[in-house]
Order: sequence, then C-alpha cells, then structure tokens
Amino acid sequence: MNDAASYWEKAAPWRDAAAETTVRDVENALACSDPGPRQLAALLSPVATSRLETLAQKAQAFTRRHFGRTISLYVPLYLSNHCSGGCAYCGFASDREQPRVKLDPDQIAAEAAALHAMGFEDVLLLTGEETPEADADYVRDSVARVAQSFHRVTIESFAMSQDQYAALFAAGCTGVTLYQETYDPDTYQHMHRWGAKRDMTFRFDAPARALAADARSFGMGVLLGLADPVQEALSLFMHLTDLQKRYWQTEYTLSFPRIRRQTGEFQAPHPIDDPTLAQLIFAFRICLPTVPLILSTRESAAFRDGIAGLGVSKMSVASRTTVGGYHRHDPQTDGQFSVNDTRPLPLFCDALRQKALRPVFKNWDTSLR
Amino acid sequence: MTIDPLNLGQTEFASRLLVGTGKFSDNAVMLKAVEASGAQLVTVALRRFNPDRPDDDLAGPLARLPGVTLMPNTSGARTADEAVRVAMLARELCGSPFIKVEIHPNPHHLMPDPIETFKAAKTLVKEGFQVMPYMGADPALAKRLEDIGCASVMPLGSAIGSGHGLQTADMLKIIVRDSRIPVIVDAGIRTPSEAAAAMEMGCAAVLVNSAIAAADDPVAMARAFAAAVKAGMAARQAGLMPMADGASPTSPLTGFLRNE
Repeated sequence: MNDAASYWEKAAPWRDAAAETTVRDVENALACSDPGPRQLAALLSPVATSRLETLAQKAQAFTRRHFGRTISLYVPLYLSNHCSGGCAYCGFASDREQPRVKLDPDQIAAEAAALHAMGFEDVLLLTGEETPEADADYVRDSVARVAQSFHRVTIESFAMSQDQYAALFAAGCTGVTLYQETYDPDTYQHMHRWGAKRDMTFRFDAPARALAADARSFGMGVLLGLADPVQEALSLFMHLTDLQKRYWQTEYTLSFPRIRRQTGEFQAPHPIDDPTLAQLIFAFRICLPTVPLILSTRESAAFRDGIAGLGVSKMSVASRTTVGGYHRHDPQTDGQFSVNDTRPLPLFCDALRQKALRPVFKNWDTSLR
Repeated sequence: MTIDPLNLGQTEFASRLLVGTGKFSDNAVMLKAVEASGAQLVTVALRRFNPDRPDDDLAGPLARLPGVTLMPNTSGARTADEAVRVAMLARELCGSPFIKVEIHPNPHHLMPDPIETFKAAKTLVKEGFQVMPYMGADPALAKRLEDIGCASVMPLGSAIGSGHGLQTADMLKIIVRDSRIPVIVDAGIRTPSEAAAAMEMGCAAVLVNSAIAAADDPVAMARAFAAAVKAGMAARQAGLMPMADGASPTSPLTGFLRNE
C-alpha cells in the first residue's frame, strides 16, 4: 500500500538523478514519447533550467495540440472562512485573528447571481477545515444551491469520507480539488500544527475516496514553497499516474499554488522563483500532455499572460479570496491568500485574445451530471 | 470530374470533408475556416453550446452559416445514458437530426468505449436520429453498428488530437471493404495527404478538427484539406492503377505446364 511518505521516498533517487542530469539526458527526455519519472527528473534538473526556451516551445506545441488555442476560465467562491485547521501557511488558520463568517443561502444566491452576470459557468466552492458552522452537510447544501445556476461546480474543502463525497456528487458537484500540500512527512507534520488535517494518511487517502465515489474530475497539487520542489513534483507525478491506472474514468488536473504573502507573515522554507515555477509547468506539460494545468490569480498578471497557452490551459480570473467578495464591495474578512493578478474579467480576456487565445466560459453541461 | 455526393440518411452532401469546431482562437477564425473547408456537416460539442453568452457560443454562429448542417456531439459523456441525454437536449436546441455519438470515459486519451457507444447508438437510432458513432477501428463493431441502423461509422485513424495519421489503415481497409454504409475517418489526421489517402482507400469522408485549428494558418489549412479530400475522392473514382507485386521471375514457375 502506498502512502504519501512512500512516494516521497521513491522520489528521492529521481531527485538525486536530476542533480546529475546531462544535456544529453534533457534531449532524450524531450524526445521521449512515453515520459516517466526519469524524464520528469531530467526536465526539472539544473541543466534543463538553461534550456527553458526549448521546454517552453515544446510545452506550447503540446498544449496547442491537445487543448487548442483556448483557456478555460473558472472562478473561486469562498463559502466560509471558519476553520479548525492549524496550517502554518494559511490565512484561514484558526489562530489567525479575523472575523469568521459563512454565507447563508441568500448570500450564496447573491454571490452566484453576481458571478453568473459576469458570464462564469465554472465555479469552485471553497471552505476551511471542517467546523460545526461549515461541515459536510453545509458544503453539500451549498453545492446544490450553486449548481442551479452553473453548468460546472467543483469544491476545494476539507478531506471527506467516501459517503460524504458521494453526497456531494449527487447534489451536483462535478469534481474535487484537494492538494496534498506536501509529500514530505516531516514537513507535513511541522506545517499542520493541529486539527484533523494533521492526519497525513487521511488526507493522502482522500483522492481515492473521492474517486471511489465517482468524481468526474480530481484536482491535485502541492503547495510550492514548503519542501524541495523537484522531489515534490516527482512524488505528485507518481501519485497521479498511479491513481490514473486505478480510477481511469476521471479527468485529473494539476494546479501550481505557490506560497504568497498573507496574514501571519509565514515565510516559505523553499521559496520558488518565477523561472522555477515556469520550469515545473513546462515539465509537467511535456510529461503529462493531456492533463489540464491550472494557474490561479496568486500569480502576477505578467507571469499569467506569459504562461497562458505554454502549458497552462485553465485559469481563474477576477478572483476574490474573501467570503462574500463578489456581492459586497467592502468584504469583512481577510482573504485566504492575497490575489496578485487583480485585473477584472474583461481586461484579462482582452490579454488572452491579444495572444490569440480564446477564453472559454462554458466547457461542460448540466446534462452530463 | 464530378465528385459523387455523400449520402447520409435522407440527406445528400456535396462535400466529403466534415470539420470540428473546438480549439480555435475565436469564432471569427473558426467560421472562416469552416467556410474555407466547404464542409456542410459540422460537429459541435453540446458542452460548448452557450446561447446565453453569444461570444462564448459555438453553435449559434455556425447555425447561421449558409449551407451548414450542425452535427452536435456528445463529448464529455462517459456512458450511454449520458450520451442519450446529451443527444436529446442537443436536438431540442438545434433541431439537427444528426448526432455524433462520442463516448470516451477516459478524458485523457479520449478513446471511444465500444460497449457504451453501441448501447447509445441503438437507443438513438430508435429515437429517430441519424447516428454517427465515433469508434475504434474495429471491423466487427463497425458491422454491429451498421446492423442496428447507424447512418455511418466513424473509426479513428489514431488518437484524437494526436496527429499520428492513419495508424489503423489495415483495419480501416477491412471496415471499408465490408461496409454498406459510409465510413468516415474521424480523429488522428494531421496532413491533407493523409485525408487524401483515406479517400483513396475508399472512405466516404473524413472529419478534421485539430489539424485545421492548430495549424499556423487555420483558414489556409482548411482550404488545403478541402482540395485534398476532393483529389483523393477523384482518384478513387478514377480507379487507381494496380500496384506491382515486384519483378516477374525470368524462369516462369509455370513453365513446366508448357513442356510437351
């Protein structure tokens, strides 16, 4: 039986191999028709860093071939910032002093109406770790309400049981996003100071529970900045490809959340610079050519405009990471993280069109639920 | 030379190039490419229908193109039930009798599910659709789909969007030889010469999307495909010369029969 720690261990020799990669290895990896951990390690190596332009060209060609000249758009909707978790890096952690609010049904309707008026059809609902105020029933009921207005609704919330996931899907949820955060057991224990999320195995097994409950899509990722990015990337790659073999009727997606400044002044132990983030995205695109790669508004406008279509095929836009941020102009809470690309929707769409990329709002249909 | 029309159900189409509509950078380029291709049957995923937001909608602008018939597709469906639901809704929305049954449970390689495709096709034929099933290049499945009343079969040349061409050529030849309904190669074609090769092989038509949409100049590529499909069909109609088997032996093997 695999767990997060075993992927972390299995990734270690590949991480070491990355350090010894030669130019020839990178070329072989770029030419490989069936890339695995060896090729991913080569593409994440320091040698490959000097070939970033070549990686970018290959990544763009693969993205265009599979996803065309399009970028799918989604928008996050924060339901609640109540949180029982002690994640050292998160603005919602229960020791952060800030007002705690959750949306009631009327407020959810107001948020949904505001987003629908903007044209969104793909909405990601978010909460903190489970609390009595925002528990699995609350998430399920919120999904059911929001699903009346949008063709695609997914959630990013706490790790749930298989039955709870099944209830979400029955309520109209299309998919789940749940990041492992880190595959390094020591870092995981250090970062998750208290609460249910401290149980690394329960979190690691959550994707399999959601998939067994028949999730149509499943979003994975690591929180970049917590541990060695190459070893994290290799662990994530092996985890995803193993899940794909068992749960083969699901669309897997990958996100690249990078730790940014937020309430509490947490400093990332392994800060990731822009070229490293770009290299990660290019390497994953080349090794997993059909997996949608997602980038949020945590990143700057310049980085997002540059990377759109070069690997990334799906982006959030006009995001508010505060609870009630779309229908209230003076949100009462701090966001989960600070948004970097704050451009309104029309400006962002114009930027995509400037690059001959089509913003796609609707790429799903309620009849597929 | 006049090209024989393509008969699908009750409808006759002069063009033997069908096109897909995903992956374009905007509606203007997509519409120009469709026009340049001369395609009369154009496929659109129901999930890209968005009548509420015209600039995000693919179906509305295509439906207004003169001479174009929409063929909605069920892309996104994992099961026959879902595909049937999508097909019903699509017919309600655009009125076309054509439905491209596309059931690929694995969204990463998009390989068609033969079992669910067969089930959906059977139901949709009974519901009065002109059923155009996307399928693996499996000669037995092709006959099964013909037997239940599909308007055509649409075997893949290689994986959708791969551009690997006619990897399944040997199977396609068997399907074409056995079939009494039009065989349309759907998926995998990258070059106009591959489209021409499919027509020379006896396919009734080809369906192309990525090769046009992902080209540097999609409109010019659409024109190139239109010409290639016509050339391939004209060549088929003209009758290709037999292929030589190799050199004839200098001492005939049947020489002994002439010895008195």
